[in-house]
Amino acid sequence: MNDSQWARYEVFEQERASAPHRNAGSVHASDAEMALGNARDVFVRRPNCFSLWVVPEAAVFAKTAQEVARDDWYTAPAADAPRETYLVFNKKGQPARETFVEYVGEVKAAAPAHALRVALETFPTQDVFVWWVAPERRVLKSEQADAASMFAPARTKKYRMHTFYPVEPIMRELKSAQGMLDNSEKMTDND
Amino acid sequence: MTETEQLQAFEARIARGEKIEPGDWMPDAYRQQLIRMISQHAHSEIIGMLPEGAWLQRAPTLRRKLVLLAKVQDEGGHGQYLYHAAETLGVTRAEMIDALLAGRAKYSSVFNYPTLTWADIGMIGWLVDGAAIQNQTMLAHCSYGPYARAMVRICAEETFHKKQGMEQIIRYTRGTPRQKQMAQDALNRWWWPSLMMFGPHDATSPNSAQLIRWGIKTKTNDELRQDFVNKMVSDFHAVGLTIPDPDLYYDASSGNWISGEINWDEFWRVVKGDGPCNAERLQARREAQENGAWVREALAAYAAARGEG
Repeated sequence: MNDSQWARYEVFEQERASAPHRNAGSVHASDAEMALGNARDVFVRRPNCFSLWVVPEAAVFAKTAQEVARDDWYTAPAADAPRETYLVFNKKGQPARETFVEYVGEVKAAAPAHALRVALETFPTQDVFVWWVAPERRVLKSEQADAASMFAPARTKKYRMHTFYPVEPIMRELKSAQGMLDNSEKMTDND
Repeated sequence: MTETEQLQAFEARIARGEKIEPGDWMPDAYRQQLIRMISQHAHSEIIGMLPEGAWLQRAPTLRRKLVLLAKVQDEGGHGQYLYHAAETLGVTRAEMIDALLAGRAKYSSVFNYPTLTWADIGMIGWLVDGAAIQNQTMLAHCSYGPYARAMVRICAEETFHKKQGMEQIIRYTRGTPRQKQMAQDALNRWWWPSLMMFGPHDATSPNSAQLIRWGIKTKTNDELRQDFVNKMVSDFHAVGLTIPDPDLYYDASSGNWISGEINWDEFWRVVKGDGPCNAERLQARREAQENGAWVREALAAYAAARGEG
């Protein structure tokens, strides 16, 4: 069978303008534009999304705190090597949520490992468990002009939310009418 | 560090409540157990689209059709989240899909049963998604970060799946005698397959002890199944449906509803490929793969022409 799965793109979603982009997972796609479309279909079936970024997984330089501590990953760049902008993401603490690393800022660097070294000197490192850096030129960002077609439709589809189905009050009412609430329900025979 | 020291440090991290992340040291058995579990879970989501998808063209109203379409889309999305989580452990998407299509991979046996009436759609939401939530709520606390995060996302969406099913079944139990009979008939057919979803008894579940030790699971198959039975018996009694288990009784000392024995011969027969729909499900996936080949070829050609991919 041919490998029909294409390259992986890491997906970052931003819930609202004031929140950072956070890694939601990844999608496979034949190019970045398709990755953005797939990211929207996979991760934005519900409210709310303000913006999406995709970046080829191969362009992400990722190190856990455990790997950073090994210190076997860094070689200094040449002094005159050209610098470019890298986006920096990390995972701080152990939040029980559906997203992974989040955007913390950017640095100028000559290479991925250099970008991580600069990030470690620039941003607080306490309680950080994972670092990601990626060159900004490899990141495809959704455009605000596309928000109406990409993100607005999910907000009107209220039937995708569990709150659309008020079944819990009905169940409470039924159990209460039959004396099944609390311990009394345990007296009910199956037949 | 020696292997023993690494293992001690790894287990100490789990005991502290730290998530293990891609790139961190982990025992090979931990990696292999997770690849097995997560890929099976992903396949279940993908195959799970089929029994419900069969009713998309036959939904009784436009509203029901929109809801079912959204649910089936969600299952496809859940498969994607889970394949992603498995990929972070070093297995490729192509390897997993190949294993599924070749019949080497397992997926939840409940999807090898047919959906015979519209009431099955409501009952699957309440019962099968209810069982899935029971398991997945536990897995949301799993020690492996990518799996735990996928579960948090999935549980939130599955709650919609369960509640839309409850809404349908509650309505049928308050409807005509024939509608009430359809709801009872659906419960009769889906009750046992949903109890089987929790897997073999603890005594015959070879992986359980290690999965719990490493924080992949926090409850055993039998504990999860008991929690599920207690919740469901109470709910179905409330809507006036009868659990199809003549041996079911309430045990006052433990506070549990004790069910009769699962038909384990049937369980293993369906797991091993001889259920009512095993062949049909795999055939549908193979056809989807083959029929989509021209789309993938066209997209690859487009990406190549643009100098990407």
